[in-house]
Amino acid sequence: MLKGRQNAAQIIILFFLGLMVLLAWHSGLSNTRLLNDSLVRLFMNGILVLSLLPMLKVGAGINYGLPVGIQAGLLGMCAAVNYRLTGISGLFAALLFACIGGVLFGYAYARILNLLKGKEEIAGIFIGFAFVFIMSFFWAVAPFSNAGMLWPIGGKGLRPTIGLDNYFSKVLNKLWVLNLGDIILPVGMGLFFALLCLLLYAFYKTKIGIASTAVGENENFARLSGIDVERIRILAIILSTVLAAVGICIYAQSYGFVELYDAPLMMAFPAASAILIGGSMGAGTSIIQVIIGTFLFQSVYVYTGPIANTLLLPEVSEIVRVIIVNGIILYALLYEGRREKA
Amino acid sequence: MESILKLRNVSKKYGDQEILKSINLEVEAGEIHGLLGENGAGKSTLLNILFGRAVIRETGGYSGEIYFQGKEINIKNSHDAIKMGIGMVHQEFALIPDMTVAENIKLGREDVYSLTERLLGSGLALIDKEKNHQSTQMILKQLGVDIDSRLKVLNLSVNFKQFVELAREISKENLDLLILDEPTAALGQDDVPCFLALMNELSSRGIAIIFVSHRLEEVMAVCHRITVLRDGEKVAALGRDDFDINHIAESMIGHAICQAQAQTRNISGAIILQYLNFSVDMPGEAIENINLDVYKGEMLGIVSLSGHGKLALGNGTVGLYPSSGQVLLDGKKINTAEAGQAINSGIYLLPEERREAGLLLKHSILENVIFSAVQQKKRFLKPSIFPPLSFIDKKMSLSYVKEIIQHLDIRCHSPRQEVGQLSGGNQQKVCLARALAMEPHVLFIAEPTRGIDIRAKEIILEKLLDINREIGTTMLIASSELGEIKRICNRIVVMYEGRIFAILPSDCDDIELALALSGERLESSC
Repeated sequence: MLKGRQNAAQIIILFFLGLMVLLAWHSGLSNTRLLNDSLVRLFMNGILVLSLLPMLKVGAGINYGLPVGIQAGLLGMCAAVNYRLTGISGLFAALLFACIGGVLFGYAYARILNLLKGKEEIAGIFIGFAFVFIMSFFWAVAPFSNAGMLWPIGGKGLRPTIGLDNYFSKVLNKLWVLNLGDIILPVGMGLFFALLCLLLYAFYKTKIGIASTAVGENENFARLSGIDVERIRILAIILSTVLAAVGICIYAQSYGFVELYDAPLMMAFPAASAILIGGSMGAGTSIIQVIIGTFLFQSVYVYTGPIANTLLLPEVSEIVRVIIVNGIILYALLYEGRREKA
Repeated sequence: MESILKLRNVSKKYGDQEILKSINLEVEAGEIHGLLGENGAGKSTLLNILFGRAVIRETGGYSGEIYFQGKEINIKNSHDAIKMGIGMVHQEFALIPDMTVAENIKLGREDVYSLTERLLGSGLALIDKEKNHQSTQMILKQLGVDIDSRLKVLNLSVNFKQFVELAREISKENLDLLILDEPTAALGQDDVPCFLALMNELSSRGIAIIFVSHRLEEVMAVCHRITVLRDGEKVAALGRDDFDINHIAESMIGHAICQAQAQTRNISGAIILQYLNFSVDMPGEAIENINLDVYKGEMLGIVSLSGHGKLALGNGTVGLYPSSGQVLLDGKKINTAEAGQAINSGIYLLPEERREAGLLLKHSILENVIFSAVQQKKRFLKPSIFPPLSFIDKKMSLSYVKEIIQHLDIRCHSPRQEVGQLSGGNQQKVCLARALAMEPHVLFIAEPTRGIDIRAKEIILEKLLDINREIGTTMLIASSELGEIKRICNRIVVMYEGRIFAILPSDCDDIELALALSGERLESSC
């Protein structure tokens, strides 16, 4: 019975998606193109969703504090842009800086969450929000020197949006592109996503990975086996934060812009929504669920836009999306509440 | 005298387990009726039914008839019970710490200014604090205790809290039946006589009392009649003239059917584990200043009533709860402050809550069995440059688990079956298998046979003896199953109020053991 309910969100989304495909076909939109776009968006957003996994598995819930990791990624990219690093090597330099930032931010974030055990989700929301504004202050005064990043007038403080065209915009998207008729496959970006999935999968087969799963399922059990629960939690939260930092770099290079200041504010919700659609139910979440969830979520995202634009008013698509994103989180919370009562 | 409460064929099942089997019971007005039985005999369930606790209804209700004051009643919830005139003093206090004594006692029945009541209705009427204080003071005086009713409950000692609970119940005007669940457990020795006198006084006012206590002497001193429960059955009903402490103790325990049995062995004199002034701060099970020597290769039973500390020794040793004092393993000091330290040095613990802390229910048998050994002993791992990230050696672990499944006779269709799907007995065997993979020198086991059917129980006890005999693992078994402990252990430590009350040989008298549990000594052996 549990299984049946768990799939309810996916069934609703699949049904909704089916409707979309029909509508698209009806309004003469190309389903191949739309599905192709969904796939690209899966690779683009997948790592951000994947980054929720380590924290879920260690029992710290959905990482609504995703902006913490995102800030580390933004910092990494700003550093790379500041030194005018370009191309694939520029991206990897940004990733390296992002990882260093992710470890530092993740450690501090983990220490705080360990003090707030059991309330990680709500604490994460507030830590994420607060951190966005702390970083806004930093962006405004940070000593970056590349004029392309700074406000054109006055020359102090970073711009809200930094174009990556001259640095590493779409370098991964354009790596090993495969053209199959209507379908354009960014093999490089796909492989990068697959590689991270594989690494994470392997991680959960190792000694520490197993320990971390055990902590998520049953803390007392882990403790009785002599595991330092706090340390494992710190490790998992750092891993989540680093993955989020990497995720935003991949997202930004695909998008073509680094967005600073309050742009990361709402980033956690689509990711949370995606993993919930995938059928995530706490510590038992698998990587397959992450991939399925992200794909379904992104398809809905890709489809609603053009369809709403042709059938309804142009602005409606954004409204529909927001309703879907938050509705699914609400559904998952309701489900969780019911399960706790039972 | 007319009977105020009458139970006819009352039964209660939790799932498939029958907790109460056709209980018949009669309590007369003004009678103090003692209800006795070991832990798990069904006393609490019976009280919960009478007081309409939600657990009963949520688990499918009870069967049978209950008559109160001659009328058949169906107690749906505690509110109903209170309205009918049934009061209960709980084992755990049901008091609000941040309210004063008077507020606690008068909660829901406060004295109010009558004008405001007429204007605003009883719900919004202004409370007359002074009057409440005075009437509370009156009640407390009746009880013979001297507390200022304006004190907050959280500042009171445990003794006084117990009296406040009682004051709340007896101040209800329509009270006809009072249920006391271990009221004296929290009282100091000096306050007990006072409390018993109070019960007598209530009884002379015509209030019937059902009195549950583990202290047999108190029960005998104050009760008019006693009913003894064992395994959900009424095994004895005694009138005042038939009271005999040894007879009561015997009927509480019953006669165990001996199957698994420890052979008499000579335990070498070598001490493996030594406790010096060891205290553990485990909520509800604290122990204080324990000095104990455990001999190499022995099976040591630890028994106590719940709350008297039988679980704390193991939990404190492996560092689950803060402790003080020293623990020496083979003469070397163990750091109990850090979880994992004791486990690394060869001590392992299987917890009492098997499903909550002893197993990863969603993982396979294989994963459960090798888990601790992988984490602590680094067994079953493939070599790797960076050890924490080494992978599991599947071949090695699978063959080991297959072997142990056969050895312990774990009934499953594959080593990859989820542990959550196994029966209680087989789950316990999985726990045991995990402990064996750790090859511990000392093994603590709490309640090894709890919730396991009789057949599987014997197998597990047999396996424990096998392990002890073949590998020489020293075992400390905390259990409330006295019969089993007597059969498989060499010595039995009896804990009482967090201290070692007696260390008895396994062939000690049943009655002596039962008395020791209640903190009393057999008169002849004194």
